[in-house]
Amino acid sequence: MAQNIFCSAKIDKEDLMDSEKLKKMNRRAFLKGTATAAIAGGAAVTTGCKGKGLLGSSEAFALEFQEYFKNHYRLMTQKERENTVSRLERLARLRQHIDLDIDTTGPSDAVLYGYAFNVTRCEGFMECVQACVKENNLDRKSNTQYIRIFEMEHGQMSPDQGNGKYFHMVPRQGHFYMGVQCFQCDNPPCVKACPTKATWKEPDGIVVVDYDWCIGCRYCMAACPYWGRRFNWNQPEIPKAEITRKQHYLGNRQRVRGMMEKCTFCIQRTRKGKLPACAEACPTGARVFGNLLDPDSEIRFVLENKKVYRLKEDLGTEPKFWYFID
Amino acid sequence: MKKPITIKKAFYPVLFCLVLGLFIFFYPLTAFSGESGLLPRIKNATQKIEQKHQFEASIPTLKQIVQVNMKDQGGTFFTQARKSEISRFKCSTCHNNKPVTSDNAARISHADIQVVHGNKETLLTCNTCHSDADRDFLKAGEQTKIDFDHVYDMCGQCHFRQKKDWIGGAHGKRVTYWAGERVVKNCTSCHNPHSPRFEKQWPKTYSVPLK
Repeated sequence: MAQNIFCSAKIDKEDLMDSEKLKKMNRRAFLKGTATAAIAGGAAVTTGCKGKGLLGSSEAFALEFQEYFKNHYRLMTQKERENTVSRLERLARLRQHIDLDIDTTGPSDAVLYGYAFNVTRCEGFMECVQACVKENNLDRKSNTQYIRIFEMEHGQMSPDQGNGKYFHMVPRQGHFYMGVQCFQCDNPPCVKACPTKATWKEPDGIVVVDYDWCIGCRYCMAACPYWGRRFNWNQPEIPKAEITRKQHYLGNRQRVRGMMEKCTFCIQRTRKGKLPACAEACPTGARVFGNLLDPDSEIRFVLENKKVYRLKEDLGTEPKFWYFID
Repeated sequence: MKKPITIKKAFYPVLFCLVLGLFIFFYPLTAFSGESGLLPRIKNATQKIEQKHQFEASIPTLKQIVQVNMKDQGGTFFTQARKSEISRFKCSTCHNNKPVTSDNAARISHADIQVVHGNKETLLTCNTCHSDADRDFLKAGEQTKIDFDHVYDMCGQCHFRQKKDWIGGAHGKRVTYWAGERVVKNCTSCHNPHSPRFEKQWPKTYSVPLK
């Protein structure tokens, strides 16, 4: 295209002026301009023709088209975040006929989330797993679960040795139960492994994924020593009635095929002051959640008064998830 | 005669450069001195945080709670009330030394309650906890009455370790919110006082193998 302009510039004097202008324009600005023009054009074309085409409603197509050109979540301005949220909500309305409430609440000051798990108290009822699947809109088809509960014999130390697929009356004599999920490491290896910076640690300690920036290379999955990450092998399927409507952009909003996802300590709940779904569902009180920087919090009481340990502490990943015994 | 070791003045700049070079070389190691790690950061966070205002807007005032008559590490806290959960409270409406005239007296008697609590050495009966003198209260010893809402005082007489953990937050759990005013579940919110051990049950779901 530039070649053409250059050729014609040789012939006409007025066109020469144009080409001079174009030369001054750098490549980045040119591409940016083209992209903007494409978006505007695409939107104009698609919104122009009313009614339903091959690709569903034209409005939905236009919105989806614009979604392709949004920025990385951390680089977005507040306005851009609001725009993409309203687009996603409108898309859900058009495509699935549901009203979502996606929020982008940021981290609070002086908050660092931490978790403690009482291995003496857990009885393996798995109510946390059920609550997690429901809260986080996890794929029902492939049975994706963030939490895994291992049935371990007394004396076993690592969940590698435990039985993660038990299904019998619990608790069983001579066994204890150990829950494993993403530990929200303070020094997360998954973040270092990501080639597109689609995953990062928020200031309140939660490791999140920008689902639209993830390319699905699964390097993070390989880097995580705790098997804390999950991959969407297929398009997630959730019964419409069971979709959690209160969502967070970095949390439980709906994913598509080929993206990584992970436990976010229920970012949509915890940033509003609520307990994560697993901690709220636990019938035995084995799960303690709180602010590590608050000296009066329950998690600090556990850390200061109980025998605590972390999984694979020698790796230096500094997980913010402690196990403790009574 | 020994000659004292002297450094020629010409070497002063070399020495200076050497010291400076060593300093610059080893300076990055201070990053690993533990000042900025996770655990020191938690340990150093000893300042009280007024978090209540941060999440105030999203936290409703929970109903049916009572203030616990003890203090935890952060001051006062609340627990779920019990009396509002007992459907036939007050007990003295029936237990009042008058003849029972109700037709369904057999049905509303407490024959369904089985006490699976305590062991052979410490046998528990109704009157171990329930006051005979004032039916609307629990008792500690013969003199002290305990309100049903403050049942943790009752349980804590034997289960003092659990009570200590409960006050601090290692036993039991908070109600819905981790932030804001601390409201925890009462003993009887989770445990049936007459048979406090959790019953065996089937897991709510199952896990498929990861690999």
